[in-house]
Order: sequence, then C-alpha cells, then structure tokens
Amino acid sequence: MLELRHVSKRFSGIAAVDDVSFSARPGEVTGYLGPNGSGKSTTMKMITGLIEMSAGQILFEGKLIQDDPMVYKRRLGYVPEEPYLYTHLSGAEYLTMVAQLRNLPAKQATPRIDGMLRLFSLHDDRHASISGYSKGMRQKVLLIAALMHNPKLILLDEPFSGLDVASSLVLRSLIQELAARGKVVLFSSHELDTVERICSRVVILHHGKLVADDSIEHLRSLMELPTLEKIFSQLAVEQDTESMARQIADLIHA
Amino acid sequence: MHDLIQKLIERLPLDFRILHRQFLLRVIDLEALSIQADVTGFLGQFAGVLIMLSIVHSVVMYVGLESIQDPDARYAFCLHMQHYLIATMILVTGLFTVISWDATFPDRRDVMVLSPLPVAPRTILFAKLSASASVLGLSILTLNCMSGLVVPFLLGMLHNSSWGFYQCLVAYWFTIVAASAFLYCSVLTIQGFTALLLPRRIFLRLSALLQLAAFGLFLGVYYLQPSLTTPAALATPQNQWLLACSPSYWFFALFNQLNGTLPSQLFWLASRAWLGLALALCGAAVSLLLCYMRTMKKTVEEPDLVPGAGSFHFVPSFGSSLHAAIALFCIRSLTRSRQHRVAFAFYLALVFAIALSWLRSELANAAPSALPSDFLMSSFMMMTFAVFGLRSVFALPISLTANWVLRTTQLRPSQVYIAATRGALLLFAVVPAWLLAGVLSLSFRPASHVADHLLILALLGWILSELCLIGFYKVPFTCSYLPGKSNIQLVFWAFFIVCLPLAVWLSSAEHDALNQPFKFAGFAIVFFGIAFGLFDYNRFHAKSAVLYFEEIPEEVITTLGLNA
Repeated sequence: MLELRHVSKRFSGIAAVDDVSFSARPGEVTGYLGPNGSGKSTTMKMITGLIEMSAGQILFEGKLIQDDPMVYKRRLGYVPEEPYLYTHLSGAEYLTMVAQLRNLPAKQATPRIDGMLRLFSLHDDRHASISGYSKGMRQKVLLIAALMHNPKLILLDEPFSGLDVASSLVLRSLIQELAARGKVVLFSSHELDTVERICSRVVILHHGKLVADDSIEHLRSLMELPTLEKIFSQLAVEQDTESMARQIADLIHA
Repeated sequence: MHDLIQKLIERLPLDFRILHRQFLLRVIDLEALSIQADVTGFLGQFAGVLIMLSIVHSVVMYVGLESIQDPDARYAFCLHMQHYLIATMILVTGLFTVISWDATFPDRRDVMVLSPLPVAPRTILFAKLSASASVLGLSILTLNCMSGLVVPFLLGMLHNSSWGFYQCLVAYWFTIVAASAFLYCSVLTIQGFTALLLPRRIFLRLSALLQLAAFGLFLGVYYLQPSLTTPAALATPQNQWLLACSPSYWFFALFNQLNGTLPSQLFWLASRAWLGLALALCGAAVSLLLCYMRTMKKTVEEPDLVPGAGSFHFVPSFGSSLHAAIALFCIRSLTRSRQHRVAFAFYLALVFAIALSWLRSELANAAPSALPSDFLMSSFMMMTFAVFGLRSVFALPISLTANWVLRTTQLRPSQVYIAATRGALLLFAVVPAWLLAGVLSLSFRPASHVADHLLILALLGWILSELCLIGFYKVPFTCSYLPGKSNIQLVFWAFFIVCLPLAVWLSSAEHDALNQPFKFAGFAIVFFGIAFGLFDYNRFHAKSAVLYFEEIPEEVITTLGLNA
C-alpha cells in the first residue's frame, strides 16, 4: 500500500501541495485528479523521489520511501507527465539502457522489451531515433520503460497523452489488468470519463489541498450528482465555464 | 558614428533584424547551451584568443625579420610568414565552417517555427547569411587585427617606396578575406548541392560524416602540406602539382600578385585563386537560392520518422550492465549529438595536430631514430588534451529534462556510477591517445625505451583521469555547463603557464631517466603512487557522494518579470 501522511511541498513559502494525506491500495486503481497547477504532478514527483517533501511522510508497504530508496525504486514504475526522453537514442536503445540501469539481466530484458514493442506496435520503428517519434510513440516508450521490470507500484501521470484510440483502449484495459494482479496503481488524468471507468477510488486536489478522497460510488450518492465530471466541477472548478468561453470569444472579436 | 550605425540598422526590416539576432546566437551550435549562458561573453572570449594569436604572429614576424640580416634569408622568411598567415586564416575559416555546420541552411526547427509566420524565405536566407558573415567577419578581423597592420608595414618597408605599405595593406586584407570567402563558399556549395541532390534523410546522415571529413581535411592539409615558400621550391617542377592543388598557395600567389611581387612564371597560380573564388561564390549563391526554394518544402514534406540503420546492431561488451549503459550512452552521445561531436573534435584536433606533425617528420625520416625528448612532451600533451577534452565534453548536457530516468532508476550506490564514468574516461580518452602514441613511436628505438615511455604515458593518463574525477559526482552528459561562464582566456594562459612548462619538465626528466634503470623505476613508482593515491582519494569520497543532476529545480518561483 502507498500511503501519504500530511505531505506538503512549499516553493519559497508558497504551498504547491498542502497537507495531503491519502492511500492507494493494491488491487485498485486510484485516480488522482485536479485542475492544472493543483499539485498533482508535484505529488507524483515527491512519490518518485524526484523532489523532496517540505513536510510529511510517504510510505510504501509500511516503510518510509527514503529509508531504502534503492529498494523502493526497484519496485517503482513511473510514467511522467511530459514524454522527456533522450531523443538521440532509438526506442530499442533507450529501453535497453533503462533495463541496464535497472540491472535487469539481458536474457530477461530482451524478450520483454521485444514483446512489449510488438504489442505496442513500435517494433518496426524500434531502431529509429526517438527524435522522430510522435508524442504517442514516445508515450508508449515511457510505458514500456515503466513496466518492463514488473513494478509493484505504478505511477501514471497523464498516461493517455498523445495516444491514439486503439492504444488508449489497450492502456485502459492494461491498467485494470495490472491492478487486478495486485499492483498499486496511482493514476492522474484530466480525462474524467476514463477515470470514471477504470478507477475505483478518486483523490481530488484543489489549490494543493485535498478536497475529496473516496470511492466514486460513494461520492455520487453523497453529493447527489450523476457523474464524476459534475462532482469534479463542483469541487475543483471555480469559474463559470460557459461565461468564460463567451468572454474569450468576445476578446478575439473585439 | 554610433548613432549613424543605429539609424542604418533601424532602416532594416524588423523581421530581418529579429531573425539576424536569433541566428547570430545560433551560428555556433549553441542548442545545448543553457539560456542563462552568456553567449556574447563566450564569443568575446574566443575573439580574445584570436586577438592574442594575432599579437603572437606580429611579434614573431617582427623579431624574425630583425634577427635575420641576410637579404635572401629575410625574403624567404617573409614568404614563409605570408603563406603561414594565409594558411592559418584558411584553417580558422575551415574550423568555423565545421562549428557552424549547416547553420546557413534552414533546419527543421526554422521551417516549423517560421513557415506559419508571414516571413519570406529570402528574409530567412539573408538573416542566416548575415549572421554567418558577421561571425566569420569577426574571426577574420580578430585574427588579423594586429598582424593585418604589422605584416603590411614590415613587408612594405622591403618595397622601398612610400606606397609600399598601402599596397601591401590592401593586398593583405583582400587576400585574407578572399581566402576565407573561398573556403566558406566552397563548403556552402558542397553542402547545398548535397542537400539538393540527395534525399533529406540520407543527406542528414551524410552531413555528419561530411562535417568530420571536412574537419580532418582542414587539419590534415594544414599540418601535412610541405612548406614550399622558398623561391627555389616554388620553381621546382616536381612541386608544381602540389602548388596547383593547394588553395593556400593559390592565395599566397594572389597576395604577391596584388603586392606586385609575384614572379611571372607563377601568375597561373594566382589565376587559380581568382577562378576558385569566382566559382565558390557563384556555387554558394546558386546552391543557397535553390536550397531555400526547394529544401524548405522538402523539410516539411519529409516524414518525421527516419528508419533505423537496418538489422545489424552490434553492441560490444563493457562489463557490468551499468558500465555498459554508461559506456554506450557516451558513445551514442558523442557520435550522434552534433554539439558534442564538434566540441570533442576541437580537443581531438589538438591531439591530431600533434600526431600529424610527428607523422610528417617520421615520413621524412626513413631510418629509425632515438626517442627524442620532444616526442615525450608531445605524447604527454596528446594525453592531456584527450582526457581534459573528454572531461569537458562530459559536462555538456544532452537533455537535462530527460535525466529523470537516471534518477528514478538509480538502484546502485553512487560510487558504482562514478566508477563507470571513470571507465568511460579511460576507454574513450586514455586508451585511444595511448594507442596513437604507441603507433607514432613505432619508428623510435630502442624498443625498451618506447615501452618504458608507454608505461609512463599510461600512468599519466590514469592520473589525469583521476584529477578529472575529483568532485565530479555526475553521470556524463547529464549536467549543465555554461560555456559563457567559463573563462577561456584563463584556461588559455593557464595552459601556457602551467601545463606546457610541466610537460617540458616531465619529458626532460623522463628522457634522462630512460637511460638509467633505477632512476626510471623511481620515476614510474612516483607516477604510480600519485595515480593510486588519487584513485583511492576518489574512491573514498565516492562512497559518501550523492549523484548530482542539474535538472533539479531550484526551490524558488521564477517570475517572468513582465511588470518592469
């Protein structure tokens, strides 16, 4: 189980994440939602260890992640928000490098990489430079890199970004399958329909603070709202969206 | 004057001025520089080095002429200096073309960013040309700022007429600019027609090879072409073929023609310079125009995805998986990133310049000779340039934003990463420099002295590698280096004041020790002791080191400063 206890992150005194506590359990997909700038990616980066917390504790399987970061990283798979890769490498080279960094034996890594490249329809382009890859192809490389070592904790920050319809459907099923096999999946996305379909629980963040942490079913009945979109709008959207759209159009025509 | 220039600049179209400014900063491949790098400072420091070279040339010319009394010897010295200055200008221009490779042509980024904007291709063309011309002009001006006055003055005195200086001044500057323009335009012509004739994906691959080939050619010609600047050598029939093929001799003849000192039997050589210049200028103009009309479209139409190099993908073994990952990352970064390739090529240029000089003297001497002290010093310098060169290239980032993968996959202690970096430094700098020195020393005898020297050289390589690793708790190519923040002048003078005398002293001491086995054993033990001591020091500190990646964001909120 992944557990966040009173986690905060301050940049020059300004709280990007403010006293956030929640947990993500094995066997379920936890959706992590919030508007732009609400602190989702900052939380993800704190969970991966890429940035340090200002306060609080993060525990995985009951142990603080900073106690033995190397053991923790061995169990972690992470897909970042932006597909930043070493673009001078080919897809196959990048994945082989990640496997080597993860100390996966070549006999184990090669068939996994090869198989996943085929399943993600990247095999034909595996020797092409990543600089020529589309956003969706880069996203697939990130997914393979995050999953190739069979991690226990999977952090997915906007994993559907740039993926085509078919790949999105595959990924949606894959996330559910991984959770069913006992993985802890924390999944951040703006696609509320997808979140509603695959997540059993959602954590909603607004201005760095936790505003909801419950199952979707329970939230629906509690707030008497039919969809996650409505729930999200009520909890985390401050503006009148239609009025805002009108104002933008008026500004363009002025 | 300043106001007049300002007004003239303001009369230029705004889009041209903006693009010129943008391209000016990108003439030298600065893609990987941080936005905080002081680019103008960086260029200014290079200009400073060229100015210093100009001063050195002037002093050598003045002192040389003052010390030679024999008129024939003075004349031969003058001819030699004329050719040397022209050849050096051609080399500097050549190196500039290598650094700014493809900078005059529209790249994919230009096309993608500028095509949707209302900017005419001709504006992009002229802005790129003017940016390249500005930097090239600055190189010409700085390299000749002193010698461009002193040399005509000294040569003009030999004329014995009051107009001699002015004639020589015009001839000198015209020749220098013409030689530079000839080479720059020749390279543009070749690049342009290659881009036009070949499919873009093949052109991109070939372009990288052409860049390295050009680099080797410029350097090889400069160091290997014999000096034929005595009147007798210029007249010898066997040398005519070489003179006919060497552009530096064409422009040497052109200078003397303009100066009124060219013997009539060498007029054909000056004609080659005129013809070459005309062809290069026309070729560059045509190829550039065609490129901007055709290649820009090609760039957009070309698919993004370039297929890989086929089914053959040989990957050598480098030991543990981490060593292999870092070694392969180094090879791929050095060979595929233009910026890293060119930056490393500059240090390699120094290594090969020394190697080529020795190769030239070895080719001239058929019989094996005793191991000279100069060779020992040269090999020390080769090793120094190779190791420090690779270390400085290691500090150039390949993609700071992609470093997250190294941080999230760090499953081993930092000392293992630092050991892998040491391995890469030894493998890609020490071993090649050592092998090169070994090959060059094949013609020296006795073999035992050569073997002894190679042992010392290997130990020196180890020492230098360990020195480079002090405090370097980083994976190669993952940290940001700000070239504008480094002090090239300081490095330049530190080299002359510290490294060069040290290499001279070391070579002299080693040369003495080679004939005395006990002294040599002591010498080798000291070297080994220093190397091992440094190794142990680095290993000890690596145990508590934390790998440093410079993409870690500073804990501040950066303002855009738009309120000012």
